[in-house]
Amino acid sequence: MTGNIFEIKRFAVHDGDGIRTTVFFKGCPLRCVWCHNPEGLSAKGQLAYYAHKCIGCMECASICENGAHPLVGGVHTFEYTLCQGCGKCADVCLGEALTFYGKTITVGDLLPMLLADREFYENSGGGITLSGGECLLQADFCAELLSALKAEGIHTAVDTCGDVPKEAFDKVIPFTDVFLYDLKAYKEETHIRATGRTNLRILENLRYLQTRGKKVEIRIPYVPQYNAQEMDDLARALAPMSHIYAVRILPYHAYAKSKYQALHMEDTMPEHIPTDDEMNAVRLRFQEISRLKCL
Amino acid sequence: MKYIKAQDYAYIMNKYHDLSQPYDNMKRFIRHDAIFAKESGMAPEEILRGIYENDKKYEHLPHPIRKARALEFVLKNTRISTDERDIFPAINMVDRPLEETLLRDWRHEIFDDVIPEVEARRKQLERDGIVTIWPDYDHSTPVWERVFSLGMRGILEESERIRRKKARNAEEDAFFEGIRITYEAVLSFFERLHEMATMPKMKTALAHIRDGAPTTFYEALLLDYLYFMISEHIDRLQVRSLSNFDRIFYPFYKGDLARGISEEELREELAYFFLQFTAIDNYFNQPVFLGGENADGTTVTNELSYLFLEVYDEMGILNPKIQIKVCKSTPKPFLMKALDMIRRGHSSIVFVGDSTIRKSLIRSGVSEEDARDCNVTGCYEYSPQGAYNVGMNYLNLIKPLEYALHRGCDGVTGVFSGVKSPDLSSYTNFDLLYEEYKKQLLAVIRTTVEVVNSFEGYLGEVSPLSLLSATFPACLENARDAASGGAKYNNSIMLFGFIADAVDSLLMIRKYVYEKGELTLAQLVQMLGRDFEGDERMRRKLYLDREKFGNNMERPDNLALDIVAFIRESLQDVPNARGGFWEFGFHVARMSYVQGKLTLATPNGRHFGEELSKNFSASMGQNREGATAAILSTTKVDASSFGSDCALDLGLLPSAVSGEDGLESMYGLLMTFVSRGGHALHINVFDAQTLREAQAHPEKYTDLQIRVCGWNVLWNNINKEEQEGFIRQAESLS
Repeated sequence: MTGNIFEIKRFAVHDGDGIRTTVFFKGCPLRCVWCHNPEGLSAKGQLAYYAHKCIGCMECASICENGAHPLVGGVHTFEYTLCQGCGKCADVCLGEALTFYGKTITVGDLLPMLLADREFYENSGGGITLSGGECLLQADFCAELLSALKAEGIHTAVDTCGDVPKEAFDKVIPFTDVFLYDLKAYKEETHIRATGRTNLRILENLRYLQTRGKKVEIRIPYVPQYNAQEMDDLARALAPMSHIYAVRILPYHAYAKSKYQALHMEDTMPEHIPTDDEMNAVRLRFQEISRLKCL
Repeated sequence: MKYIKAQDYAYIMNKYHDLSQPYDNMKRFIRHDAIFAKESGMAPEEILRGIYENDKKYEHLPHPIRKARALEFVLKNTRISTDERDIFPAINMVDRPLEETLLRDWRHEIFDDVIPEVEARRKQLERDGIVTIWPDYDHSTPVWERVFSLGMRGILEESERIRRKKARNAEEDAFFEGIRITYEAVLSFFERLHEMATMPKMKTALAHIRDGAPTTFYEALLLDYLYFMISEHIDRLQVRSLSNFDRIFYPFYKGDLARGISEEELREELAYFFLQFTAIDNYFNQPVFLGGENADGTTVTNELSYLFLEVYDEMGILNPKIQIKVCKSTPKPFLMKALDMIRRGHSSIVFVGDSTIRKSLIRSGVSEEDARDCNVTGCYEYSPQGAYNVGMNYLNLIKPLEYALHRGCDGVTGVFSGVKSPDLSSYTNFDLLYEEYKKQLLAVIRTTVEVVNSFEGYLGEVSPLSLLSATFPACLENARDAASGGAKYNNSIMLFGFIADAVDSLLMIRKYVYEKGELTLAQLVQMLGRDFEGDERMRRKLYLDREKFGNNMERPDNLALDIVAFIRESLQDVPNARGGFWEFGFHVARMSYVQGKLTLATPNGRHFGEELSKNFSASMGQNREGATAAILSTTKVDASSFGSDCALDLGLLPSAVSGEDGLESMYGLLMTFVSRGGHALHINVFDAQTLREAQAHPEKYTDLQIRVCGWNVLWNNINKEEQEGFIRQAESLS
């Protein structure tokens, strides 16, 4: 079996406890307007072109079989429509202007990379986090990977948007220590407006994890234009859930803008970026209402 | 500034340098004469003239006595002052007057007249950028325990007692006489200061340390300070640690508290002590260390350790610089406090792995007890108490490859500088080239040993170390100066630089010439000679190739281990000229910049003259796999298998260390580094964007500090090329 991933990030420190390595899986059911990993949305491999880094070496053109890298008026140009997504050009790019997102990999190949930092996990209470995209769209692969990690005694976390069939959770629950569970909005209509999909299944799966006795850290991207008005509702809804050990409210940021450009994707990111003071106030209020630890 | 009144702050900051005038902190000398009353002593030029005048009476006597008499003359006559705005006296140090007079003359006599060919060779090696040898060995740390428990008077009495135990020959007698004159001069100097002092607290303290050992926290600080000033600035021997502070000062601290002195007052005293070193502002900073382990396995860390960091933190200073000896028993909250300071910009803290140091010392024959009590001196060097393990010999590990590729000639100057190597055509496989590299390296190592051994024997003649030697029990027992092999341990140290550039360059040759066959060795050598002009494509390939040291990859890391093993074999049981042996380590100080200027473009894609890699860290901009991989690579090397530094310079992004998670992660990095046997770790927290901004707008970043291979500097005080090095490091993080 193979998995489809787009990044392995070592020394990830904000994806669960301690020092972790995070594996980012490709493909996501949601289309959040503020998504900061747009390269994870499509299940297909994608080439990103960071034009400002291009040095015009044209190594890409020499290796591309589809003519996706023509010289136009003496300047390298990337024709997104011609790209077949093989990723070969990214390997030879001498300006580091081309990055290919998407890699098929087996558990056997992945494992040594993930275990390299084992001592760091042990010394910091860290481990491995599966993220994305939505890793549970590849639940069978995740289960195989997580089971191999558990056999090695590694702490495991699954970062999910929750919008997957319950069966997907069933597959990984035995090998997952904690779930990092994203909630984007409380009201269904808001959720549809922000992500393109209803949140009914998401809330249902969250309750399901409670019945299965799994520990959950809730993660809420705070995007004022979308969910500021329903933070109180969300706090009240989460308050009775005993399996939630923390709520992390993450400030929306716009660092991903250059990625949208490089991927030739429509940038839907909102403009307003909350300040630190704003975030502290939001967290404080959320904690008061929910009585949950807010980070 | 907390603890220090505004007018006091202004006074102390102007005490050593006139801040209204520009000064060069690369020079440690204290030039400032304006604050002293003329009648308090002689003018600086009179002191310098007076040393010679005074020396006429002693010209026929051995150097230890002549030097002691010169020191006595300075201490008797230099200008001094005390001021109610400061609890430490001011002393006019007249530009290290002994160095400017007798010591410089003696060095010239010996180096230029007695061993001129050795000196010529030494200078040539330095000009070639292959080995930089500093003949004035001056890293030292006295046995502080004895200084504080016996006082200067106690040490003098002990020395005299031992002196009288048996009949002494002329040389031995000169050794003791040098100590007697030196220590009596110091005691008279304390009396001189005592008479001048008006502040009762200072007056009493000076009387106490004149008559015996210090009795209070403040008196111990005062003695530490005065020893430092006299040694570093008059005797001209650097004091490279103000002590294992929390161990040595703890009894004084507890004693004061028991006597009812408030902790607040002790904090204030400490703050005034710190501020002296902030104001002196040596560019390489003044080291002092904390932590370690007691004989019973308990931690040295105590309330004073926390208080020390708190005061330092609240003052927001960067000098003195702090090393922390990390052991299994070191409490986590203490390390968390230090790590938190680092992420807020206090890069002046370095961690040193205690178990690694101990193993290394025990391996080299040091007793377990001496290994446990060893000092951290300098940037992160370590040496047992009472050791005179010195060596400022910086060897360039990439040059031997240059020699191998140019038939023994320097690639920049074309001058024959190595040993003879064959034509490029004879390197039909990589192993042949690698063997030739080792041959050239071995020749450089042997040359360095030869040159250093030829002059080391004269060190005691150039500058006898009476002040230091008297604190070393072995010197007193042996009736022999520390500089002449009288100490308990007398090793010499060779410091190797740029191992990552050497590894990466060798590997890139192996890969692109011998494995992929993308170019011939001759083509590559031509490219290097042209500094890749017209070959940017190939240069980028070499530079961007990710198989580089510092990323936990098998081939480069193994090559590094092989080079370390080769050096170890080459220096195994090689004696120096002071009764000790040669040890080695990996530490570059500013050589990555200085020798980098003299080193040809390298096969890892580095341009001619660009900065070379630091310590045992990845080449500039090449740590692409991040912090964990960097730690794994460096700690594959068994740092306890050799006798000196193996430091890793780690850059972290502010976003990676933010919040509680971030702090825990820093702790995880540190503990993994230490448990894997790492020797020294220093961490810079920065991002490329901020550094670029700081480069463009220096006026907005006057307090941005970074740590450069062991010492910390303000960003604005390093030159543009060095700044670029840090920006590249930061860019490779993101």
